[in-house]
Amino acid sequence: MPRSMPDAPTLLKAAMKYLEDELMPTLSGYHRFKTRVTINAIAIVKREAEMIAAQTAAEGARLAAILGHGGDTETLSAELAEKIRAGAISVDDPALRAHVRQSLAEALAINNPKWFDR
Amino acid sequence: MSSPEFEARLSAAVSRRIGAPGTIHKLERLTGGANKTTWSFDAEIGGRREEFILQLSSAGAAEQPSPLADIAPHITADQDARVMIAAVRAGVPAPRVRAILEPSDGLGPGYVTERVAGETLGPKIVRDEKFASARTMMTRQCGAILAAIHRIDLKELPFLPYQDAAQLVAVQYRIADYYGLHHPALELGLKWAIEHIPRNPRRTVVHGDFRTGNFIVGENDGIRLLLDWEIAQSGDPMQDLGWVCVKTWRFGGPGPVGGFGKREDLFAAYEKAGGSSVDPDQVRFWEAFGSVKWAIGCLRMGMRGIEEVGIERCAIGRRIEEPLWDFLNLIEGRDN
Repeated sequence: MPRSMPDAPTLLKAAMKYLEDELMPTLSGYHRFKTRVTINAIAIVKREAEMIAAQTAAEGARLAAILGHGGDTETLSAELAEKIRAGAISVDDPALRAHVRQSLAEALAINNPKWFDR
Repeated sequence: MSSPEFEARLSAAVSRRIGAPGTIHKLERLTGGANKTTWSFDAEIGGRREEFILQLSSAGAAEQPSPLADIAPHITADQDARVMIAAVRAGVPAPRVRAILEPSDGLGPGYVTERVAGETLGPKIVRDEKFASARTMMTRQCGAILAAIHRIDLKELPFLPYQDAAQLVAVQYRIADYYGLHHPALELGLKWAIEHIPRNPRRTVVHGDFRTGNFIVGENDGIRLLLDWEIAQSGDPMQDLGWVCVKTWRFGGPGPVGGFGKREDLFAAYEKAGGSSVDPDQVRFWEAFGSVKWAIGCLRMGMRGIEEVGIERCAIGRRIEEPLWDFLNLIEGRDN
């Protein structure tokens, strides 16, 4: 199937623009709050659509280096989680720390980039 | 329950338990959750009009049975009221209980407290210019309030659930496993917690949710009231000192204590007010583990959001990395 146009991030950007610029000024109280939360949720989906492929590939490469073998990223991540719990890798291991820090930074870049400024 | 009938029952309860005639004015629902609703109202008592808060719990069995039902032991409304009464007696600014409801009141479990005016919203308290002078007092107040809470005689409140740090960590594992979450950052946080469990903690009354957002704050007098006693427990008192420092509860404010104060000032105020001597590393454990616990809180909220298809809770689910990021910064000395 040929790629449909406009792409997902562009559609979401247009939806957010309407909600933010036209709908929000007409709202107050409960609906203003819920619409704000909704706009934030759409922004998350937009950033995820833009970044997730590259992030997943980079995460998979980091995990393969730590675990010493390849696989799909989600399976490798679960394996690392298991190893941490079993004590097979130390929580003070610098490579583990670096990987966890990078993974959290990537997730925050999607879910709430403002958190870095806190 | 229809509104006129609800008001009539409340009026009768107020008249019987606080004072006649108990005529109700300005009855207004403030918040409502699945387990608890909060109402504000005025009532005529003798010749005066007084201001009250009504807290109602759902009548027990309404909660869905869940394999996680026992993990966060909530005390009952009646016990909650008894904790606040003991706290007020110990000099803590807890809500003043005026009536504990009984089955004959026909309102379900709950209680009536005196209403106190002021601000509860975290972002306003930590950032608004209006509260600048309040903020200069609040760290000292936190120390004094915590010292008073931790002095309450545990024997007065034998029903308080006890969980030590190791049990609390075990509970977080259970929740992660229940939802099938395999999350390296979370696992790192939980493992770190196991390896840093404080030795020989004291055991006192613990508020359990002592933080900005649960304070009613006045512009000129700082903390007027400490709310939300429903997860009061017995445990390590340092837990309360750590929780108020968790970054999530700073609401973007600059100070590590609640978004307004310095840790060393909190510890000094606590000791000066008669609290035991503070080991900063032990408080740091509770702050770090507090962040991990809040990550699990985000997970639970997110899963409830999926269940109810509700945008607010779903959005909180996506906040799980925030406290884990804060945790990592804290244990690596990158926190302020």
